[in-house]
Amino acid sequence: MKYLLSAVIVLGLLAGAVWAQESDQPSTAAADTAVSADTVSVAPPAPVGNLRAYDSDNDHGHAVTLEWELSPDDGGGDNSVLMYEVFRWYPYFWDTVQEVRAELVTARQRRVQGTLDVEGDPDDYVKELVSRHTELLSTLPEAHEQYPDDGEFRLVRAVPAGTEKFEDRGPKDRLAEDFLPDYCDFYYRVDAVTIDESVRTPSQIVGPVQSYGQWFNTGRIVVLCFVLVFGLLTILFVQRARSGAELYVRPIAGIEAVDDAIGRATEMGRPILYVLGLGTAADVATIASFTILSRVAKQVAEYQTQLIVPTYDPIVMSVAQEVVKSAYLDAGRPDDYSQDIVYFVTQSQFAYVAAVNGVMLRERPATNVYMGMFHAESLLLAETGAIAGSIQISGTDQMAQLPFFIVACDYTLIGEELYAASAYLGREPVLLGSLKAQDVAKAAVVLFALIGVIVTTAGSSVFQNLFKVTD
Amino acid sequence: MKRSSVIILSVVVLLFLASWLWKASTLSSDPGIVNAWGQAFGITLAAFLTLAILSFLYRDNPFYKFAEHLFVGVSAAFWMVMGFWSTIVGNLVPRLSEGLSSFFKVPFDRFAVNYFYFIPVILGILLLLRLSRDAGWIARWPLAFIVGTTAGLNFIRYLRSDFIEQVSSTFVPLLVGWQGFGHFLDNLDLSATGQLALTVGNWVISLGVFCGLVYFFFSKAHTGVFGAASRVGIWVLMITFGASFGYTVMGRISLLVGRITFLFKDWLGLIS
Amino acid sequence: MKRQLPLALVFLFGVFMIFQYFVPHEKSEYVYEFLLDWIYIIGIFALALGIWSLFRVSVERIKLRKEGATYSYVALIGLYLMIAFGFTAATGDGGALSTSYYIWLLLGVVCLALVMRARAETASGRKKLLALGTLVFLVGFVLMSIFDDSWAYHFYTAEGLSNPMFRIFFDYVMMPILATMFALLAFFIASAAYRAFRARNLLATLLLLAALLVMCRFNPYLPGIDFIAKASNWLMNVPNLAAQRAIVMGVGLGMVATALKVILGIERGYMGK
Repeated sequence: MKYLLSAVIVLGLLAGAVWAQESDQPSTAAADTAVSADTVSVAPPAPVGNLRAYDSDNDHGHAVTLEWELSPDDGGGDNSVLMYEVFRWYPYFWDTVQEVRAELVTARQRRVQGTLDVEGDPDDYVKELVSRHTELLSTLPEAHEQYPDDGEFRLVRAVPAGTEKFEDRGPKDRLAEDFLPDYCDFYYRVDAVTIDESVRTPSQIVGPVQSYGQWFNTGRIVVLCFVLVFGLLTILFVQRARSGAELYVRPIAGIEAVDDAIGRATEMGRPILYVLGLGTAADVATIASFTILSRVAKQVAEYQTQLIVPTYDPIVMSVAQEVVKSAYLDAGRPDDYSQDIVYFVTQSQFAYVAAVNGVMLRERPATNVYMGMFHAESLLLAETGAIAGSIQISGTDQMAQLPFFIVACDYTLIGEELYAASAYLGREPVLLGSLKAQDVAKAAVVLFALIGVIVTTAGSSVFQNLFKVTD
Repeated sequence: MKRSSVIILSVVVLLFLASWLWKASTLSSDPGIVNAWGQAFGITLAAFLTLAILSFLYRDNPFYKFAEHLFVGVSAAFWMVMGFWSTIVGNLVPRLSEGLSSFFKVPFDRFAVNYFYFIPVILGILLLLRLSRDAGWIARWPLAFIVGTTAGLNFIRYLRSDFIEQVSSTFVPLLVGWQGFGHFLDNLDLSATGQLALTVGNWVISLGVFCGLVYFFFSKAHTGVFGAASRVGIWVLMITFGASFGYTVMGRISLLVGRITFLFKDWLGLIS
Repeated sequence: MKRQLPLALVFLFGVFMIFQYFVPHEKSEYVYEFLLDWIYIIGIFALALGIWSLFRVSVERIKLRKEGATYSYVALIGLYLMIAFGFTAATGDGGALSTSYYIWLLLGVVCLALVMRARAETASGRKKLLALGTLVFLVGFVLMSIFDDSWAYHFYTAEGLSNPMFRIFFDYVMMPILATMFALLAFFIASAAYRAFRARNLLATLLLLAALLVMCRFNPYLPGIDFIAKASNWLMNVPNLAAQRAIVMGVGLGMVATALKVILGIERGYMGK
């Protein structure tokens, strides 16, 4: 009987298609045999199975996730399921909350525009609405507890056939129309719907389920492990370094060239130009550059060479002035320090470059040092310096700019070498200890990668899952 | 001022005026243009400033210096003005004070007021104390806030994106689609998506990453096998830098094309 | 207090930012968004520091009659004009600026130039003359500010930037110079390539070959372009990827280590002494 019914439906649909094509030539015969989609009789589909609802994980709340097994008539069986409609139970009280919410939003907007026309003080009116809205929201959990009385199921969203998961998510803004309150008992139902929307089969009702924010994101536990491990490694090696352990650091060509370059500038009686890059004072490359600047400034002070430090960021200027001033103090030449050594140019990328290029061609520095974060202007700076005949030493962590520095400069610190340079120059035990920790982490990476590659080649995804971070 | 400089300057000024007049007359004949003289001045100024900057390629000269200093002054003030209107007046004032909002005529919602925003104002003022000789040390407090906050952000961001995710991307199979030696030989082909190409590619990636990391080892001397791996690492790095360099060339050339188009089309009208 | 409190602040905020990454709760999110807002606001105050530094350097250069001091006038005038445009607007309908507005601007420029020149002047007589001239133009400047009704100081937003001259300077001064500076890269990339690609050692040779291969792939007229394109694609997708990954991992570790050192107070160079 079931198969006969299916055959009738299929024949009916075919006939409908034929009728649609012939609709330009009206004929009573076609009309008699025409079958429209409205009158196709579709059997109710099988419902979705195993509907589950749970609070969405690792979020700030206001979200519930629904999962279900597809209806047998979705992609199989009668193949009549067109979409699924997700329903949630709303207490009638929710309408009252929404009314007050809408009134509050409108009142606030009008108050801001100065067009709120009410008796008495408009501010008091809005305040009263705010407290009413807050009070109503606080009683929402009670209203949800009345299920199944005093409420009804309403459509949340329709999702296409083939969907097995849906997240009912609302914003955290309590004044948003689609706000989803936390700590309320929600009940859900998923209807399998056919082409005829009146022909549908609801699932069993699932609930109560509450949404709430989590205090720990378990998907990021891998990151936490790395934070702890790396932090411990750093502290361990710093302690070792402080206790007097000898830590070897391999020579870095660009750093050794800095001392020679300063000597060259002194002999030639020409200044040294130090460019801190276009980063902010909080960028890691700039922080590393401060350490190198300190070293350069100290030597410059000792040799009584001129130093020019044009800056892009005002806070970087502020910090660099401190660094250079301290360096001059350490060198025993506080009187030689001038506030004009470090000066602000402009916070516009190419205006800064234009000014620095001008300095290079006019002051003719013997040495240009570029250490920090650079962008497209790196080539402009380096080439102009090369044209001016300066020795150029550069270091940046920006992958895209390294090729230009390598091509145009005499020495380039590639990526991590810039950070290592601060340890290498200062030779401070704590910085060397931290460098050692980085190397140990790198060795661990090589080991992990080796094991991971072997495991992945063997066809297992264990290692990939181990390092997976989910949001 | 030298006589030759005066002559050159006079010639440039005359050329500017001639260009302005000519451009204004060209634009005036277009009924769609509203302020022909103003627009002509703007285009002429833009063209002369463009040429002034391009003259840098020959050598440093007064025209480049003029354009450079003008750019420095104008851009510094531009960002200050924009920052004032968008952040201070647009974002900060409405959160703090009805009086100030009324003065600046910005919409004020007293229910969006947040007095905690006085804290960054205070920190900002403390930063300005940097200018004081005696109280300059106090500027370290706002600096500490900015450096600490950004360090915390960077720590997590780069640990995840530049380290953990990169490490997990390194787990590639060294034998792609391995189903036995016979199967491998049967499917051997030289197409870009074939087994051989993918396998060789994965080997190169793995070796490249290992040797690259070895190059960045600082606490061991680069000798022996370690040194050889480090050398392979720097070779791979150089190939990368060469490829990046070549890749960027076309983009840079297109920027020049843009300026040449402006000079020959918008200014001189030689290109239609 | 002068060093301990800032270091404590660095630790406190640094640890909080790490902590909030693992805590998705909206209370933590709220504080996080709040702190990020603060950074923008403090940055604007920092800009005032920078403008002051630029102003001071230019003024000193003029006063001490250093080489190129003439151009410092240009920078100062550019600074003054843009600030004036940012905080003034026409009062009439349509926003068109009157001739008196431009005269007022010119008076301001002359005042500024004269006062700078007066500071730099050493001869007493000439100094007094310049000071008198400054005073005359300043009086005119102030009187026009008070009595000229065709324009006004404008602090009202959202029309705060309604002065058309602000837009004109952006379109016809800033943008052309910015775009041309960018365009210089085309010339510099060629000169850099000419100087560097001389294959003086193995590393330079590898750099040269890789660059040539990638550059040639866009040329449809070369023989064997199919092979070049495929080789170039392979180069970008395989060895390039490997090296980038190694650099990014190293840089990432370095950044993480430096950030940790800053938070723990090991790295204090930015604090000065």
